[in-house]
Amino acid sequence: MTGLVLEGVGHAYLGRFVLEGIDLRVAPGEIVALVGPSGCGKSTLVHVAAGLLAPRAGRIERAYLRHAMIFQDPCLMPWATAAGNIAYVLGLAGVPRRQRTRRIAEVAAEVALEAGDLAKYPVELSGGMRQRVAIARALAVRPDFIYFDEPFTALDVALRRRMQDLVIDTCAGGRLSGLFITHDLHEAVRIAHRIAVLDTRGHGILGERPLPGDPESRDDATVFRWVRSALAGDPLFRHIHDVDERQVA
Amino acid sequence: MPQPLHPSLPAVLADRAGRILHFLWSGWAGLAALCVLAAAWQAGHETYGAFILASPLATLREIGGLALEPESWSTAAMTLQRAVTGFALVAVAGVVLGVAAGYSPAALRITAPLITILLGIPPIAWIVLAMIWFGGSDATVRTVIVVTALPVVFLGAAHGIATRDRSLDRMAEAFGAGPLRRFLTVGLRQTTTTLFPAFALALGIAFKVAVMAELLANAGGIGGALADARINLDIAKALAWVVIAVAMLLLVEYTLVHPLKGEIDRWRRAAQPWGVRR
Repeated sequence: MTGLVLEGVGHAYLGRFVLEGIDLRVAPGEIVALVGPSGCGKSTLVHVAAGLLAPRAGRIERAYLRHAMIFQDPCLMPWATAAGNIAYVLGLAGVPRRQRTRRIAEVAAEVALEAGDLAKYPVELSGGMRQRVAIARALAVRPDFIYFDEPFTALDVALRRRMQDLVIDTCAGGRLSGLFITHDLHEAVRIAHRIAVLDTRGHGILGERPLPGDPESRDDATVFRWVRSALAGDPLFRHIHDVDERQVA
Repeated sequence: MPQPLHPSLPAVLADRAGRILHFLWSGWAGLAALCVLAAAWQAGHETYGAFILASPLATLREIGGLALEPESWSTAAMTLQRAVTGFALVAVAGVVLGVAAGYSPAALRITAPLITILLGIPPIAWIVLAMIWFGGSDATVRTVIVVTALPVVFLGAAHGIATRDRSLDRMAEAFGAGPLRRFLTVGLRQTTTTLFPAFALALGIAFKVAVMAELLANAGGIGGALADARINLDIAKALAWVVIAVAMLLLVEYTLVHPLKGEIDRWRRAAQPWGVRR
């Protein structure tokens, strides 16, 4: 069984193809990081894969039971408390009302949210805490596949590291598979089992590189060495830091 | 220890009592404003005399006299009934049409000029037409209220939907919410920001237009009582009825619109404890 298969997937905005011929596989228990320069269509690809956008071409096979998604913006409903936001997706997942309280307490403990934080509204929480709630919300529905759409881009360096650790811990042991979108190669190397690079113009996956060991046992020195040698010697990562602000995503 | 999603009854009651006290406390500002208005009124009375402008105290005495007559209660109740039912019609129709238009940019673009035309037609023109159609009845007053106040609520609802945070729609969809569920839980909830100011405005329009239509269509109610006061040149009575109409508007606004808004906008107060922006 395979977690996710994309074959020849393409998508167009207003008649212009932004994605073409994307082939990508995510195995069960595997986290694949998809990297590429800004505006190359990474976010569009993850939206197509998650079914939020209909593909114009190609085939998508979702062989997992339930997916969840963590967005760049936490996307919390401002009128509901942290617990209310988590309860909302539990309701969508069909979890009976009586079991929701217990489930919320469980996921809150998993991401180190305190009882006091759960009763707060998103406006009362800091950016890092909001993203923590978003992660708890995604985990609450017991997904076996998670889409990460550049979830930590807006956070500062120290906070981003803690969130990455949180993801590494929760995905450890092959309980979850996922597609992790990022333009930060360090982040990709820390979190994933495998890295796929998207073409600058979205015309297919340029190539893939396996990463040494498991994310949970990979130390900083290994990550740093891998990123440095990839950027210095691997032609696959040559355009990873290209930026074209004018290109519409 | 698991955090209970639904807090205990004493906690709920304490929270509720706190919010009611907070609501009542905010009444001091309103009272202060009313006192300033009364002072200006008194100054006008002392400058121009009782025949042009009766004093606030004389007006209050007149209101006291009216309160003792049962028929003035039924007069006021008639206007109240017309204004509130007219407002209810406006609220329902405006929200339904506005939400539909908000989801369809083409419909919004087509209706925008129509709304401008509707807003440009003076209410008095509608009163004349409605008098011809319905005579001096409730229907006349309600029709005028609906056509004058509908654009306000319509625009409030349409803009609420059109300017909603689409990322929340995407979030709900990613977690498996269908179109109807997304509309009910995420879309509609976001219209309240623009809808409640529109409701408050529409309610004010409803009362103003109701009194005006009653006066011109000779349809009884407070408008009819004002017409009588004008014939008798009874300035104190005219002012008394004006004060009663305004008091009823405030009564409806602070017992119906504001508590509802307070309930829905609880999270906004969380951002501004004690009215101070964080």
